Amino acid sequence: MKPKIAIFSLTSCEGCSLAILELEDHLLDILGAVEIVNFREGMTDRDWDIDIAFVDGAVSTPQDAKEIQHIREKSRVLVAIGACACLGGVNTLKNYQSESDYRRCVYGDMANYFPTTRAKPLSAIVKVDYELPGCPMVKEEFLEFVKCMLMGKVFRLPDSPVCVECKKRGNPCLYDQGIFCLGPVTRGGCSAICPTFGSKCEGCRGLISREGLAAAGVNIRETYNASVKDVMDDLRLYGAYQEGDLP
Amino acid sequence: MLDRIITHAEVLRIVADLAPEHRIVGPVLRGGQYFYEILTDLSGLDLTFSYCVYGPRAFLFPPTETLFQFSRQNGRFESTLSIERVPTAFVGVHPCDINAIRLLDRVFSKDHRDEHYLSRRECAFIIGVDCAKECTVGVFCADMHGNVAKDGFDLMLFPLEQGSGPNDMRYGLVFGSKRGEVRLQKGSIGAIPKAADERAMEEYQRRKEAAFPHRLKTRLEELPSLLNRSYDSLLWEATARRCYSCGSCNMACPTCYCFNIFDETDMTLTRGERKREWDGCQLEKFAEVAGPHNFRPKAASRLRHRIFRKAKWVKDQSGIAGCVGCARCDRACTAKINSVEIYNQLAEEI
Ligand code: SF4
Ligand code: SF4
Ligand code: SF4
Ligand code: SF4
Ligand code: SF4
Repeated sequence: MKPKIAIFSLTSCEGCSLAILELEDHLLDILGAVEIVNFREGMTDRDWDIDIAFVDGAVSTPQDAKEIQHIREKSRVLVAIGACACLGGVNTLKNYQSESDYRRCVYGDMANYFPTTRAKPLSAIVKVDYELPGCPMVKEEFLEFVKCMLMGKVFRLPDSPVCVECKKRGNPCLYDQGIFCLGPVTRGGCSAICPTFGSKCEGCRGLISREGLAAAGVNIRETYNASVKDVMDDLRLYGAYQEGDLP
Repeated sequence: MLDRIITHAEVLRIVADLAPEHRIVGPVLRGGQYFYEILTDLSGLDLTFSYCVYGPRAFLFPPTETLFQFSRQNGRFESTLSIERVPTAFVGVHPCDINAIRLLDRVFSKDHRDEHYLSRRECAFIIGVDCAKECTVGVFCADMHGNVAKDGFDLMLFPLEQGSGPNDMRYGLVFGSKRGEVRLQKGSIGAIPKAADERAMEEYQRRKEAAFPHRLKTRLEELPSLLNRSYDSLLWEATARRCYSCGSCNMACPTCYCFNIFDETDMTLTRGERKREWDGCQLEKFAEVAGPHNFRPKAASRLRHRIFRKAKWVKDQSGIAGCVGCARCDRACTAKINSVEIYNQLAEEI
């Protein structure tokens, strides 16, 4: 019996579910191994008997909250894909503004017709079994996850920060140019794609550990000449830092 | 004792002669810093470069490599060993990096022969170039005896006098291997040193001795006992408050040799590869085992572990110091954790 797979999107650009379609070279292999029963980006048929549900997007409206609860009830395994679903993502930027401001900014005169809530990751509402973070999620990681599920092998996210992959690629470090890159505190697995192309890591795969974040707090105050506010802004971009202050 | 006197142009002839059978790796300037890279054009080669951001280890022990391929077909399991033999000629390897390679040689051949490393190493040709002075402020290679390479190279160049530019250099040359010697004989390259050249070499060694500052308060031989007394120092905790456990120090270190092993399978789940990739003792999960139990769950215990490895344990085990004093760890550390400061603070505490 092929596992039944479904793919859903909540508040997001749906880039992560599109990333699945972009796995062109492997798509046929995947389709041979699983049965996709529910995927708005790719098909019209719907079926609610789901083994593994992949969900991108944050919970940012009352409707999202209902939908994710329904998906959870219907799925044996729930996988959050992308920064929005895993961390709240860029949607969480609104959590630091007044509700009337961001609603007016997005919906203008229609603001009153669209109820929204604080943006949250899926795990704030329902039990999430696995997370595939990143903005967008890393396609290769999705493939690896599917293989692990098919083999019955434990899936683990990389447990080292972006710096490891950055150094393995032999990149110059952006700190040498005085750029505050979030690589040391961010979970790797993206092949350090941003520093490789000269941009600082913005933490889209989330914080790797509380210990690392605590070190960032110490370094901002004692080691660098950096502003806590700027770093907080950076950490908040993807909601990698969601509640409270830097330790 | 010098074996030849040789010009920059003659060095290039040797390299050009190696090029048909070897990939050539040397220093390349990018964005104001040097990196060891594969050279396709020798015309810009500058052997008076300061230092390369990373050592040459990635060419002998790649960040990720396949150990063997496996497949399962008709109920049979098969595997094929994957041994990469890419002859590589390194040109412009500084003493610290030569000493780091000597350590890797030792580690990968002692007790268990690591065919993957050794197959690359055996067909590597190393042209070293000596440092007349420290490459940058902060290195402690003189303290760690890393700035003098006695073996581990095929040819070693000594910049006896400063030319007017990289292309104008004349070097004293020492053979480190038979095949190194053969290379020069083959093209009858280089001049036989005269008495004046030998004197210049002695003079060079004296100048060099004086040109390297010593930064450690403790002599190399005394570092192990210093550490023995410092196991319970409060310094580890105090310094590790800043540590991200990012592993940059490990990744940048030319003597780090730890790796992790994992499997990659294709979508049919019947074929795959067993691979290894660099690992590092500063990473949080490095010492985690089944259970899960982590032998070093705190950054402080990991920092202490790294320093003990570099200045004591590796030497205890392999007889060769685990650190060559190149300070790449210190420069790579985004938290500015500095090993010289650590050693010196420990020395002061006691
Ligand atoms: S550029 Fe960023 S990710 Fe790369 S090593 Fe430096 S801090 Fe780490
Ligand atoms: S480098 Fe940082 S921001 Fe870029 S993809 Fe990786 S985790 Fe995301
Ligand atoms: S520990 Fe630091 S100084 Fe020593 S060899 Fe490694 S990178 Fe160089
Ligand atoms: S660390 Fe010492 S031996 Fe290595 S390049 Fe610098 S000066 Fe030379
Ligand atoms: S580079 Fe610095 S911050 Fe990163 S693990 Fe090493 S000591 Fe810690």
